[in-house]
Amino acid sequence: MNRKLTKAITEAAGLLRAPQRTAPLLKKIVSDKLRIAVDRPHLYSYTKTRYASPYVLSKVMHWIAEAQRPDGGIPAYYSLLTGYSQSYPEVTGYLIPTLYDFAGYESARSAENFRTSFAAYRATHWLLSLQMPSGAFPAGLHGAPAQPSIFNTGQILQGLVRAYIETARPDILASALAAGDWLILTQQQDGSWAGDGAYQNSAHTYYSMVSWSLAALAAQTGKSKFAVAAEKNLDWVLSHFRSNGWIEGINLQGHPAYLHFIAYVLQGALECAVLRHRNNDNAIDAVANSAWILLRRFETTKFLPGAYDDNFKSPRRFSCLTGNAQMSCVWLRLFELTHDLRYFNAALKMNEMLKQLIPLRDRAGILGGVSGSYPIWGSYQPFRYISWGCKFFADALMLESRIKQSFDISAEKVLQCAS
Amino acid sequence: MRIVILAPSVYSETACAMAAHLAESGYVPVGALAISSLNSKTLLRKLGQWGSAEVVRYAFSKLISPNTSQPSANNPYLDPMLKSGAATFRSLRDVAAHYGFPVTFCHDMNSDHSLARLTKCAPDLIVFTGGNILRARLLEIPTRGVLNVHLGLLPEIRGMSSPEWSLLENVPLGVTIHYMDSGIDTGPILKKYEFVPENKCDSLSELRHRLIAFGVEKTAEVVAGLDRGHLSAQPQPDLDRDKNKNKHTNTSSNKDGQFFVMHEWLSSKAAERLTHHRTLTRTAHG
Repeated sequence: MNRKLTKAITEAAGLLRAPQRTAPLLKKIVSDKLRIAVDRPHLYSYTKTRYASPYVLSKVMHWIAEAQRPDGGIPAYYSLLTGYSQSYPEVTGYLIPTLYDFAGYESARSAENFRTSFAAYRATHWLLSLQMPSGAFPAGLHGAPAQPSIFNTGQILQGLVRAYIETARPDILASALAAGDWLILTQQQDGSWAGDGAYQNSAHTYYSMVSWSLAALAAQTGKSKFAVAAEKNLDWVLSHFRSNGWIEGINLQGHPAYLHFIAYVLQGALECAVLRHRNNDNAIDAVANSAWILLRRFETTKFLPGAYDDNFKSPRRFSCLTGNAQMSCVWLRLFELTHDLRYFNAALKMNEMLKQLIPLRDRAGILGGVSGSYPIWGSYQPFRYISWGCKFFADALMLESRIKQSFDISAEKVLQCAS
Repeated sequence: MRIVILAPSVYSETACAMAAHLAESGYVPVGALAISSLNSKTLLRKLGQWGSAEVVRYAFSKLISPNTSQPSANNPYLDPMLKSGAATFRSLRDVAAHYGFPVTFCHDMNSDHSLARLTKCAPDLIVFTGGNILRARLLEIPTRGVLNVHLGLLPEIRGMSSPEWSLLENVPLGVTIHYMDSGIDTGPILKKYEFVPENKCDSLSELRHRLIAFGVEKTAEVVAGLDRGHLSAQPQPDLDRDKNKNKHTNTSSNKDGQFFVMHEWLSSKAAERLTHHRTLTRTAHG
């Protein structure tokens, strides 16, 4: 409780230090209040395109570009109370694939392409300077006492693998291998990660994101030890999936299971299963089973609660926008894997909903930002625009674009088969 | 056969056409229950579905249009059913006055007031043409059941945007007339009809209009079949239970066969498929 109180006082004191932030804060509170009062989602909500996806994507990527510090690090958030945070190694790491994807997406505009590739290069350069002798990367925000973090190392590894694919630089490969080796060293017998280096010293199923990174490292290096470690964790994670779709073992003491973490489990397990060709044992079906529960909830109520108790029960009336964007990514990937159009349909609607909540005209830090919660005072990252929200929403919009571009071709194929 | 019509609004063309067509086929309804036109939920739903301009145009055509000799149907394929001799039907009130049955209004079809009215009619059959999601207490009132005309072939295409999903999922176009139960389009099937348009369909809205008219026509056939004892309902096979068996968790998948309202981008792809469908149909018919 003391920690929460201290945090609240620190945040509030931010306004005293920078009273000019009061106006944007009040504006956001009032606009969310009004929106909640007026907005009554119905069956046909989010079926029409109000803002073009490429336009909103450019704004979201603008938020990331504006946020990047001169040293290459990217802050965790912009707070309406305290401004930008310190750089956050974890998110800087897993933003690297998003930056490279956007550079490819924007290939027609070479200046933008170069700017985004350079942003990825700077982010990588900064991360390499942070790696500990053990191969681990530090927990928390930059500037805090360096404690090795399993989850953050896994997330940063994802960025390193992508940076190596793009640049073929041996120093990046060496860094990725060291991080992978440290992750293997700290893995438990049962495939989980717990103890020192794990959040709250406990094992968590959302560390499936770490197994995804290890599977990606295995795919690039051909080293089977990383594949074995990834699959060991995947098996441990899958053993926590219940028949009703609920996932045990998210295990956050003092917090409910935020949608962000549920979606992490699904994303990590899905991508690891894809990379390890694990569909023969229905690993992908297990993920699809849980993803469908959330899809059905979104489709029937046009709303996904931001946090859940057991079995997807939730009395809460706020949205975790990052989790929503992640679920859009999961549904889009499931469409690519299963060709079930209902996943694509739900993701299109989810993206429409999120696009309507992105500030398209505002000051730096807010313009193009994805807030932690909707309404802004919801309990997940209140009063903040968060960098990982931008990352996942940009990923979702780029996936949407990729699928749209290939959709006509696949439709033709079906027709040819039918005839 | 004692039949009651459930209507989403007194101005619902489908409800008017259904009541009139059943009456012309020898099955004059014993009553109709319609949701009050000034219902905020309906208005909100229609605003979302059609947009404000179309809602205003619709309201104008129904309430203010000066030419009362024409049915002025938004769905022109229902026009023939909205006339009887010199009479034209612009609302369920007109149909009821012509054939002599009462229309009752409600805000919620499942309310105690509505249930009491329906029970008083002692229906053998209720024909649903839109409105609220029906609860068990209402479904239990008619001795035979509540009929629904679904604009897709069951059990493959359940839920919303059925014609559009049929096109994208390569399922033949058609209508299914079935009894309603507590699920979404999961009740026992009375009859399925494939729809092969003789003339081209230029748009999804035209396709929908034609399917609605086709469904109204076929409902009269089904009612006659039920009345003569020629038809019996068949439970729907559970396609999903077999298809989605999940070996990992050793249970059936939570995934069901329901489809949801289609996003406009996918609808545009369904419209493209309609063009292909038309071409293929033409080729098939020489």
